[in-house]
Amino acid sequence: MKTKNYKLRINNLKAEIGNREIIKGISLKISSGEIHAIMGPNGSGKSTFAQILMGNPAYASKSGEVEIGSKNILHLKPEERAREGLFLAFQNPLSIPGVSVANFLKTAYQSLHSPKTKDQRLKTNANPALSVWDFNEKLVKDADYLSLPREFLKRSVNEDFSGGEKKKLEMLQALVLKPKFAIFDEIDTGLDIDALKVVAQGIVRLQKEGAGLLIITHYSRLLKFVRPDFIHILMDGKIVKSGGSELAALLEKKGYAAIKSH
Amino acid sequence: MPQSNPINTSYPLGFHEPEKYFFKSEKGLSEKVIENISWHKKEPEWMRKFRLDALKIFYSKTLPTWGGELGKINFNNIYYYIKPTNKKAVSWETLPEEIKRTYDRIGIPEAEKKYLGGVSAQYESEVVYKSIQKTLGKKGVIFLDMDSGLREYPELVKQYFGTLIPPHDNKFAALNSAAWSGGSFIYVPKGVRVELPLQAYFRINAANMGQFERTLIIADEGSFVHYVEGCTAPIYSTDSLHSAVVEIFVKKGARVRYTTIQNWSTNVYNLVTKRMRVEEDGVGEWIDGNLGSKLTMKYPSVYLMGKGARGEILSIAYAGPGQHQDAGGKAIHFAPYTTSKITSKSVSVGGGRTSYRGLLQVFQSAKGSKSKVVCDALLIDDASRSDTYPTMDIKQNNTQIEHEATVSKIGDEQLFYLMSRGLSKADAEAMIVNGFIEPIVKELPLEYAVELNRLIQLEMEGSVG
Repeated sequence: MKTKNYKLRINNLKAEIGNREIIKGISLKISSGEIHAIMGPNGSGKSTFAQILMGNPAYASKSGEVEIGSKNILHLKPEERAREGLFLAFQNPLSIPGVSVANFLKTAYQSLHSPKTKDQRLKTNANPALSVWDFNEKLVKDADYLSLPREFLKRSVNEDFSGGEKKKLEMLQALVLKPKFAIFDEIDTGLDIDALKVVAQGIVRLQKEGAGLLIITHYSRLLKFVRPDFIHILMDGKIVKSGGSELAALLEKKGYAAIKSH
Repeated sequence: MPQSNPINTSYPLGFHEPEKYFFKSEKGLSEKVIENISWHKKEPEWMRKFRLDALKIFYSKTLPTWGGELGKINFNNIYYYIKPTNKKAVSWETLPEEIKRTYDRIGIPEAEKKYLGGVSAQYESEVVYKSIQKTLGKKGVIFLDMDSGLREYPELVKQYFGTLIPPHDNKFAALNSAAWSGGSFIYVPKGVRVELPLQAYFRINAANMGQFERTLIIADEGSFVHYVEGCTAPIYSTDSLHSAVVEIFVKKGARVRYTTIQNWSTNVYNLVTKRMRVEEDGVGEWIDGNLGSKLTMKYPSVYLMGKGARGEILSIAYAGPGQHQDAGGKAIHFAPYTTSKITSKSVSVGGGRTSYRGLLQVFQSAKGSKSKVVCDALLIDDASRSDTYPTMDIKQNNTQIEHEATVSKIGDEQLFYLMSRGLSKADAEAMIVNGFIEPIVKELPLEYAVELNRLIQLEMEGSVG
């Protein structure tokens, strides 16, 4: 399924917490169907970068541009960014006691694809609304795709989930909600090899469906199963190096310290 | 409107000739006012005396010094009895905008809206009510408004009325005993199971909406009944005081579930005394949802009188700006091997205040009893408040008591997570709140559960702005 071609363009993005600059001017361009990976050591600003892209209000002080198409979304609310087609798979997903996975996803899907007002419908390029029946069918199919049992859909969102289950739920959300651009923040941590393969399979499917993808990771483990088109090395709030998948091999061999001087 | 409506007959003269018998008691309380109520209802002498004695008790009792702020109630500025026909005086046009808007948004039908707004005393459900009456009648089940109950079954009423919650129980029980009007009267014979919930909704009439409803339920041995009262739509009332009394008798091996969802307009003091007496192997269950009102003080109780009796209380309280919900439950174990469980969930938003107030009492005579109390509070913002006042009085060592209490606040990260999935802040908060109360909501009849979730959605949108 090929969809339209979109561009996520990040231009000179800066952000600070307190008076300390953490993101020091990141520029990046991602097109539909591309996979980009951002790698970097702990504390390099990877997660902050992801949170700012999605609009976490905790990071209020920021400058630069983040555009989907020609629209600057940097000052939009998180839900508005989501409606523009952005998705973030959280590194530490939060639990919502008493709300089932199925109900949560149905509500989210409706929020994104069946906007309440006509005005919103005109503004967004939402996927067509699905009937409850069709939605459930699709949900079950996507859960099957990730080898998640039906029971999983009835459990409360992330409540008493194992690390692996949480990451799989993030992937399930990405598959069901159909974003134009998805950011995966350390989706590979805490996964055993089977789960890692399942998650990688999900990423590849999203790519095939035409989404642009940004994978944030600490290790090159996931990149054995998903071949990124571009790899960017983030250190101290800046992209210090960009290249093809050969960069991952170099990292594996020499570590981050060697990259900067390389 | 058919003249044969059984409800009308509870106001034998007044209903058909409204002009001649138009009656509105003078403002405030007096012996004369109480006498008038009794006279208009053509009550037996014992009830007249019961009312007058209760009035004396009301005068002699002071306001409770605990709970909420009651000092502003002006007992002399209230009409204690308004003949139902007079309620039609409220017109749809004069209802407050916010009430009308909420009705619209919940999407309830026009007729029901008017009824809830106190505009119309009658409603199409009469037909439904009649057919239910017929089916119940065959099994010997009595389901009437309290006034009709007293008129048609005076001996049965006299045997139980005011015996579980006597007028001297508390000041508001005394007030209700003196001024009561409307409410439900239910009797379920031995071994009869009423499979469909009995809803006050089907028995709709003006009396049902009274300020001082009085409900009496008697479930004879081995019977079962589920009674549902109230609705989630806000009930507009020009009266500032609602003070009901509910007495329930659960005989040996019987089971009664009583579900209430109430959403009074925010000018109302809602002060209600509810009690169940549960005999051997009986089960008594309260599901009590409180939204709206200015102040609610309500602690449904189970008195576990017979060996092996069980009581369960599920309570939800939701306090928005300017509201105080002082709610909870009481379980009193008199007999051995009795069990009780109290689960309370409260939500405070926009400066609203909730309090859990509970009593657990286990007498020496209640060996081998078990009780579990769980109260969870959810705060939506820093301006809101929640307190817990649990009282335990355990006289028997051979018991198993558990008590858990949690207070949580909706986290910014939790909200961000949901908003990143396309939910607005209000939708995200409503989802968290609905998830929080879900363990209780799933016990409600489906249509109530759906309405309650929707209402919370609306409330959140309103309070977030």
